[in-house]
Amino acid sequence: MTNQSSVEKPKDLVVSPPPQINGTMSKTRVMTYTFVALMIITVITAAMWWPVMTPTESQITAFEKGGITGFIAMPLGAILLINALIAVGVAVLSDFIIGKTAADSEINTMSAAVFGLIVTLCFSIGLPGMSQAFEAMPLQTLSAPSCFIYVALTSFIGLVVFKKLQGMTGRKYLNPAAAAKFIVLLPGLFTVFLTKQHWAAYVGDNPASGGIGMPQLASAIDNVGVTSFGTYLRGCYSSPMLPEPSSLESVMLLTKFHGWPGGASSIAVIIVGVALIFLLRGYFKWKITATYFASVAVMSLIMTGIYGGDPIVRLLFELFIGSSIFLGFFMATDPATTPYTKTGQIIFGVGLGILTVLIQTYMNFFGGALLALLIMNLTVPLLDRIGIHKPFGR
Amino acid sequence: MPYEHIKEVKDQARITPIETFPDPKTAIVILNQHSGKPLSPLVAVGDSVTVGQKIADSKERISSPVHSPISGEVIKIGNIYNHCIETFSEAIYIENDGKKTKDKSLLPISESELGKTKSADLLNIIHEAGIIGLGGAGFPTHIKLAPPADFPIKNLVVNATEGEPYDTADERLLIEKTANLLRGVNVIKKILGNPKVTIATKVSKAAAVPKLQEVFGNEPDTTVVAGHFKYQQGDASVLQKALFGYETPPTKRSYEMGCIVQNVATINAIANAVFEGEPLISRVVAFNGEVAQPKNLLVKIGTPISDIFSQNNLDMTDVRQVVVGGVMMGHAIPTTEAPITKRSSSIISFSESNAKKEQKQTACIHCSKCISACPVKLHPILIYNAIMKPDMEKAEKLWNKDCIGCGTCSYVCPSRIPLASAIMASR
Repeated sequence: MTNQSSVEKPKDLVVSPPPQINGTMSKTRVMTYTFVALMIITVITAAMWWPVMTPTESQITAFEKGGITGFIAMPLGAILLINALIAVGVAVLSDFIIGKTAADSEINTMSAAVFGLIVTLCFSIGLPGMSQAFEAMPLQTLSAPSCFIYVALTSFIGLVVFKKLQGMTGRKYLNPAAAAKFIVLLPGLFTVFLTKQHWAAYVGDNPASGGIGMPQLASAIDNVGVTSFGTYLRGCYSSPMLPEPSSLESVMLLTKFHGWPGGASSIAVIIVGVALIFLLRGYFKWKITATYFASVAVMSLIMTGIYGGDPIVRLLFELFIGSSIFLGFFMATDPATTPYTKTGQIIFGVGLGILTVLIQTYMNFFGGALLALLIMNLTVPLLDRIGIHKPFGR
Repeated sequence: MPYEHIKEVKDQARITPIETFPDPKTAIVILNQHSGKPLSPLVAVGDSVTVGQKIADSKERISSPVHSPISGEVIKIGNIYNHCIETFSEAIYIENDGKKTKDKSLLPISESELGKTKSADLLNIIHEAGIIGLGGAGFPTHIKLAPPADFPIKNLVVNATEGEPYDTADERLLIEKTANLLRGVNVIKKILGNPKVTIATKVSKAAAVPKLQEVFGNEPDTTVVAGHFKYQQGDASVLQKALFGYETPPTKRSYEMGCIVQNVATINAIANAVFEGEPLISRVVAFNGEVAQPKNLLVKIGTPISDIFSQNNLDMTDVRQVVVGGVMMGHAIPTTEAPITKRSSSIISFSESNAKKEQKQTACIHCSKCISACPVKLHPILIYNAIMKPDMEKAEKLWNKDCIGCGTCSYVCPSRIPLASAIMASR
């Protein structure tokens, strides 16, 4: 090797701006870790839900008596896995097609797959054991086969409109999964989100004419007696296959059999979520999670202060309802739709917690965290301006 | 604030003793090695020069002369790639006559004379020896060591942290030239009026720490701090915060806080100039990266980088990237024709598989990692967005000029956005 030959091919050397090395964390790795975390939650929930047939035979008989048909009885775990397959498939395929056809669009398979799983895990399924035919209740969205169509639609609209089209504006304002679910289910606002039958009076022998008579949150709630809020929660979340509902602590912390699959086991979400925060340390906006749960807890205590009742029942409900526990870890921390700055993230988390409790208490909206998240998403550009800190020495 | 950890790749290099590299057949001495305007040649083609002869200088205040590293004949004055400024600059080409005839114009003093020597005379030796900041900044040392009289210097910090992941030249000096460093520190103390001395090094420099404690441990007003300093704390301001707790405003210079921070290699060069009469014509260069045997070479300034590769039997067909001056803050050079300068602390080479290609940058995912990782608390992605818009007014409001160029934001970015280089270019 002589001096001369290196002169002949100087252009062969790669010149790139400093630094010449990169850290080990890449976008794909962030997405892969998140996907694995969500997959673990999906598998745990599916396994837990597998023994539960939904609807049960007695539910189908009762529904048919009330003229409601079109259900397919399936293991609840199987419905969840099919949902996941559909949502991830639709998202990844749409992402691929858009990436191939649109000139300036990247193909982000892992990102699309994560999105698909979030759509799956925030889509409520599972008929509560107490459901014995209530005419206006949106039972079909909760079970096969209708839920497959809703999930596919949510995944498609979410990816195309809220990930790709929104992304073209340079900034994603709304959480894609939350926004898509909201749009898809909006026509059923009063039956799906604000299931007024939760609270409508229970009418004796003719259940089809009314609701289940659940006590409202803007009142004293406790866990004593057959008409208490706690009893309704237990009936709502216990396995319909059990002869007796499980304890309130058990359903809120360990196993729920209705609602957001992502929050079916609060303890599983907490373990997986904390592990992911650790794995992605520095790349996971945990401040939002922490401040969200803290402010939900404080708001619950304030509500108990206003309306009385058992503070533990309200705390268990507000913190560990599937929408709250899953959204707090996996949706509220979506990097693209949350603030850049530390201060912004803290205000975001606190605001999200306060809004969630207010919406659930005063709008009778189970899963109010979803609406709260969309509202808070819109404040992000403002929060990013508030949170700018001064640099070193200034 | 936790600083981002950047993995060091110096296990081999740090235990390899300094080796003297043979003088080049042709030395190429660049006229723009310091931070400032280029020098004017004092010699013409055909002139004979001796080892250590001053061959270019300038009347500018912020300038530092250069010297011939070898004896021989000036054969050409022409342009060559200069890694310090990432473009071509004028250089003097000298053909070696192999005679090693020495220039004697730089008069050394003996150690016993130091106490009686005037600061101005010491500064003059440092100036005439062509000493500049060898840590990478290249600021003329005789100016740095002469702060305005209304700013008394309370602290002298010896920056022995050397956080660049592949660099080991300073570490070997700490181990092998400890006594010489003490001589250099004594010169600086004399110039600055006996400030307190803090030697800041890292626990990971396992062989250097006991050496420093042995040599500096009993000196008056001298502390050896072996800390768990991170790469970012090698920056003078960030290091002062770690040592003394204060944050130097970007509008102020270190001396305004009563502190001067000096790099190890610079102090070594000061001792050589003052006590040996040796101008700055060689330096230790770490030769690291994807090489069979990492080395620390004492290389004459002006030696073509290609000489180092050929002497080490490295097949250039395997080398795809050559980085001079550290992988975090140094530059990838387009040609190995380029010579070693005073600021070439290391030569790091990478093969095809590890060369940093023009990576496809993807859209920002808003993870905010660059913001939490910035050691000077900037908002790199917001500044970058403003630059790209372009909205320079906004970039300035976000203090883009405060960037220290450490590269941490680009390093941590999962979307591989070239944040640091864009912000540095906008300053």
